[in-house]
Amino acid sequence: MAARYGGRPMATTLPPELLGPAEPLARDAIAELRADRSRLPVVFPGLPRKAGREPVGGGCQAIGDARVDLDAFRRCDLVAAWLLQEIAVTHDEAVDLFLHGDIEERAMLLRAANFLPLGDTTARLLGEVLRTNVVLHMEAALCDGDLLARAAAHGTIDAETANRLLLKFAFLDLPLERALAAERLASVELSTMLQDLATEREAAGRAVWRDTWQMVGRAPCPGAIARLIGGLEHGDDGVRLSAAKGLLALPDRTAGLAAEVARYAGERLPREPRPVIRELLQRLAQPA
Amino acid sequence: MLIFEPHIHMFSRITDDYEKLSFAGVRAVLEPAFWLGQSRTSVGSFVDYFETLIGWERHRAQQFGIHHFCTMGLNPREANDDRVNQAVLDILPRYCEKDSCVGVGEIGLDDQTKTEEKFMAEQLELARRHDLPVLVHTPHRDKKKGFERCIDIVREQNFPMERVLLDHGNEETIKITRDLGCWSGFSIYPNTKMSPQRMVAIVQEYGIERFVINSAADWGVSDPMMVPRTVVKLEQAGVPRERVEQLVWKNPIRFFGQSGRLDEAMLAKPATANLRETFEGNSVLRGQDPDKL
Repeated sequence: MAARYGGRPMATTLPPELLGPAEPLARDAIAELRADRSRLPVVFPGLPRKAGREPVGGGCQAIGDARVDLDAFRRCDLVAAWLLQEIAVTHDEAVDLFLHGDIEERAMLLRAANFLPLGDTTARLLGEVLRTNVVLHMEAALCDGDLLARAAAHGTIDAETANRLLLKFAFLDLPLERALAAERLASVELSTMLQDLATEREAAGRAVWRDTWQMVGRAPCPGAIARLIGGLEHGDDGVRLSAAKGLLALPDRTAGLAAEVARYAGERLPREPRPVIRELLQRLAQPA
Repeated sequence: MLIFEPHIHMFSRITDDYEKLSFAGVRAVLEPAFWLGQSRTSVGSFVDYFETLIGWERHRAQQFGIHHFCTMGLNPREANDDRVNQAVLDILPRYCEKDSCVGVGEIGLDDQTKTEEKFMAEQLELARRHDLPVLVHTPHRDKKKGFERCIDIVREQNFPMERVLLDHGNEETIKITRDLGCWSGFSIYPNTKMSPQRMVAIVQEYGIERFVINSAADWGVSDPMMVPRTVVKLEQAGVPRERVEQLVWKNPIRFFGQSGRLDEAMLAKPATANLRETFEGNSVLRGQDPDKL
């Protein structure tokens, strides 16, 4: 007997009304698969052209246990999710779809995974994202829903895997603001990895992931404070913004550290041309 | 002038060819699944090959602004190989539904055996089930008889002629196919098969309706630039530009557009080119700076 998806019962939290005009097509596909589920590898690839690729829209929303960005989800992604829920896709079937899918099918499956129970299949799919290094898949797994954060919190993946995924996210220079709930994954270990990557890049004369400063501020490792304060004087607007955000995120600013940060923020403030950064510097410049 | 190259085996070509094609106006290529010059010994080799056609090759083409499409099928030569033939037929339905697959092919005849005929007939049925047109490889030996037999099989299967492209045609085969309602493909080769000059003569005599031209470039002595070269020869011979454009752009789109997965609007812009993108961590750059290319 094929393994059940993640070894847990299927979630049923995706409201079918979200499928809009694609709902009849989804119902037909489900009926076809209930009659012969060996058709799954044939039905799944056609979903984008049949259900449509237009974004669902509606921004970030909580649906069941998941938080997803419906501006990134397309109608076919929701059809895929609903279909896989309804037929209670097994681990083996889901992995087969991923391994033999094209780029778009894989992205569709990763988005759908937000609505499937956390478990071994989630871990396997996230492992494939880590291994294959495709930007679209990294975005589907880390940006279009909070799958990574939930998988890490649930213990579906260990901290080392979560850290390696976020390190690759940084390596691909993807924006932290799109990685839903990634701030929950901040840790000293991750900060150390990000800082080491930054140092390697700097030594090679290459650009550093701008969000490094913001992320290490949440869980500073040795050397992070100096990097953050130095970041306030960086020539790149994005780095200065990230450094200011990182300093504001410092988890326990002692009086001495707060005074030190306030001093450098105050020094920078009159010379800072960007209003959004100035606003953050003003907050940092008030140690109380 | 925009060009749709409707038969080229980029799997066997180097990345520089994509760049040359792009510079010559090739906006889209169609890569039929085919024979690799050596028999495959297990179905797994076909799986990997089919997945290259929908994966790495698409990525590689896109880096040069070229849209990559394919046809999926069991080629006639390996249809004779009992180690793989039935197993390949069994896995084809999944690949026929892939978004960039716009037909079934190359199918057809090579040695003109009964086994080839059986698998050609079964793949016509496969195409019907997936609502796809078919690209038919015709024999290089005893071509006239092979053409006629291919047509017989299409008729026996009651497959619509307008969804059939009989490829590797020449002056002799036109006389057989012209009034059937099927499409005719001409593979322009540097030294053998059809030359640009002969193609000009065919166009002048028979026109361009339901014709496509291709390079069929592969691992052998062939030239991926044969369609652009033939375009020049056609224009030099006085064939009106809009007629040439219909031959090398609109006709292949019209034929493969019968799949419902391809139309001219989709090709209005070059494929997204982002030389920084990787496919499974692999890039065409080999360490080069994308800003300097």
